[in-house]
Amino acid sequence: MTSSAEARQQILDSIRAGTESVAQSAAKLADAYAALPRAYNHHGQLNTEALLALMVERLREYGAEVVECSPGQLTATIAAQLSASGKHIFAAPAGLPAAWFIPGFDWKVDYNLTTQEIELAEGVVTSSSAGIADSGTIALHHSPAEGRRVLSLLPDWHLCVLYASQVVESLPEYFSRIPQPPRLATWISGPSATADIEMTRIKGVHGPRFFHVVLVRDERKPETAAERLPQANDL
Amino acid sequence: MTQPASDKVILDPRFAPPFPQGALNVLRNPQLRKNVAHAIDVIQSKRGKLVAEKTDWQELRSAASALRAHVLENLDAYLEEFEARCTAAGGEVHWAADAAQARQIILGLLRQEGAREVIKIKTMTSAEIQLNPFLEAHGVKTYETDLAEIILQLGEQEPSHIVVPALHVNRAQVREIFARRMGLENLSDDPQALTAAARTYLRQKFLTIPTAISGANFLVAETGSVAIVESEGNGRMCLTLPRAMITLAGIEKVLPRFGDLELMLQLLARSATGERMNPYTSLWTGVTPGDGPQRFHVVLLDNGRSAMLRRPVERQTLRCIRCAACMNACPVYRQTGGHAYGSVYPGPIGAILTPQLMHLQHAQTLPYASSLCGACYEVCPVKINIPQVLLELRAQVTNQERHQAARFLDPMYLGLRIANFLFARAGRFHLAQRFGRSGIRLFTRRDGWIHSLPSIGAKWTQTRDLRGFPRQTFHEWWAARDKEAK
Repeated sequence: MTSSAEARQQILDSIRAGTESVAQSAAKLADAYAALPRAYNHHGQLNTEALLALMVERLREYGAEVVECSPGQLTATIAAQLSASGKHIFAAPAGLPAAWFIPGFDWKVDYNLTTQEIELAEGVVTSSSAGIADSGTIALHHSPAEGRRVLSLLPDWHLCVLYASQVVESLPEYFSRIPQPPRLATWISGPSATADIEMTRIKGVHGPRFFHVVLVRDERKPETAAERLPQANDL
Repeated sequence: MTQPASDKVILDPRFAPPFPQGALNVLRNPQLRKNVAHAIDVIQSKRGKLVAEKTDWQELRSAASALRAHVLENLDAYLEEFEARCTAAGGEVHWAADAAQARQIILGLLRQEGAREVIKIKTMTSAEIQLNPFLEAHGVKTYETDLAEIILQLGEQEPSHIVVPALHVNRAQVREIFARRMGLENLSDDPQALTAAARTYLRQKFLTIPTAISGANFLVAETGSVAIVESEGNGRMCLTLPRAMITLAGIEKVLPRFGDLELMLQLLARSATGERMNPYTSLWTGVTPGDGPQRFHVVLLDNGRSAMLRRPVERQTLRCIRCAACMNACPVYRQTGGHAYGSVYPGPIGAILTPQLMHLQHAQTLPYASSLCGACYEVCPVKINIPQVLLELRAQVTNQERHQAARFLDPMYLGLRIANFLFARAGRFHLAQRFGRSGIRLFTRRDGWIHSLPSIGAKWTQTRDLRGFPRQTFHEWWAARDKEAK
């Protein structure tokens, strides 16, 4: 569109007329960026137990259900959660570990499910990429085990598996551990909510009303701060 | 465009009444004031608690302030980088110098899609360019999907806050709007039931309307990604279900790197809604095969922004991340609510942003809609010194007026000239005080307050009372005290 190209030039010219930027080279820009003050907390202070306790506390504050288990108990824990939900039809990403497909339920595996098929699912089970304790946030990078974005959105009930080794204390720790920015990400901090009517918090507007987290107590070595998060295709 | 009827709330700064007049309508509506004060109290107390628990809050503010200033100084480079990355990822970037261009680009894209209907995520930028009425006039039906925006759209009302736009409407009023517009006679006024009604109303729209429009909280130059923070999931619906997606973003929304989100996300939710993190934050990059819209457009909007970069003091206005902490903290906003500002951007940030977007040709009363108490500056997560910008804009407004011959007929101008003469010498000042005190006593009621003054004094007393003058000035008391001591 020519008018957009003209507008582009006009806007950039107008910006340059008001700033020093045009004199700067890419290297100078990078230097100026690197020199910006960042005196806020970059590293967590908590030991593993306190960190996981905080993660659980914050998730529960938001109204998420949390159960903890050992890696050996994971399959049984997922089975118990699915049974307790009273639901039968579950959607799942194609990359979900095979053991998590608990027999006895109707699994809709996402080999290009249509929106209507996902909408019919009563719940969904996914993995996750990280947990951020400070805000009780679960990060989905939409890897094959986490699924497409729509998969964890339409079903009213979402069970999300989080490993203790994926939990960090704060956003800066989380960002510093991501090797490559994900192309897609959804950061979830509790179930869908609104406070638009008289500031009364109501759970469940459009996203899942029920958010369940299974926290798997895998080995979380003290030096994990230096380790990277599992990458999308590791799982 | 014709001028709307005067009793309706007007958020177009070109036609809106001056601030004192707009404020009057609200001050005379006790229900509205109650609704606003309640909402503000809730957010303020939540925000206060969460900010207090953050031991590095001031360091976060300083870092964010410096980062946003750096972006503005190098805006051209970061916009070009964003454009290149977003394009490489399968998005298409369009540039709009003003509101009219943005509307035309969006309409053109919708026509290309054959769209007769469009679902929208809350975007104040689209309200700024008055997109909905334009699209409706050109045969495209718009569906707002944020709960507050549905209330406003169905109730044919205007937003009064940038984060919780319907905070001036209470549950009974929401019930009335939903019952009438959704045909639900037996709806209760329980917020849970009202929210459920909105969920049902929108579900089918999400699943069937294949085109969406959003705003943007952040654009990431390094990756060409767009980030949106929200609570309800309506954003996620609009970002994942449609086949085509159009994002309208002000040019100032860009951040240099993906990692900069670690800073902004810590500040935004705490400042905006008093949460550690909002329920959902979405990030997407161009088009991803098999996931979400397969045609993605970003419209970068200038509309007066680039011109604001030229003045170093006013430039800081563009650091804003639209958290609304300033309006929640503002004693003026608390009394008047948002509609008085005659703009989709109310409160302290609106008082500096709106006149600048209008190149100071309209909304000249807004820089005066402040007591300069500085509460807005104190809470601002990117440290915009709003009082400083207000003063700068006041100076510009005054300079504009200085060139008008009619100023000699303006009682305010003449009054200030007289004040200037009196205040220049201590003797004149003391004399004026003595005369003023005996004069003002005529208007002071028994309770010690002045409730109404004639002529120019009414400008003050029509919206507030004035404390009567004391019998003695501080200087007189001090002198008397010295004498007694001797």
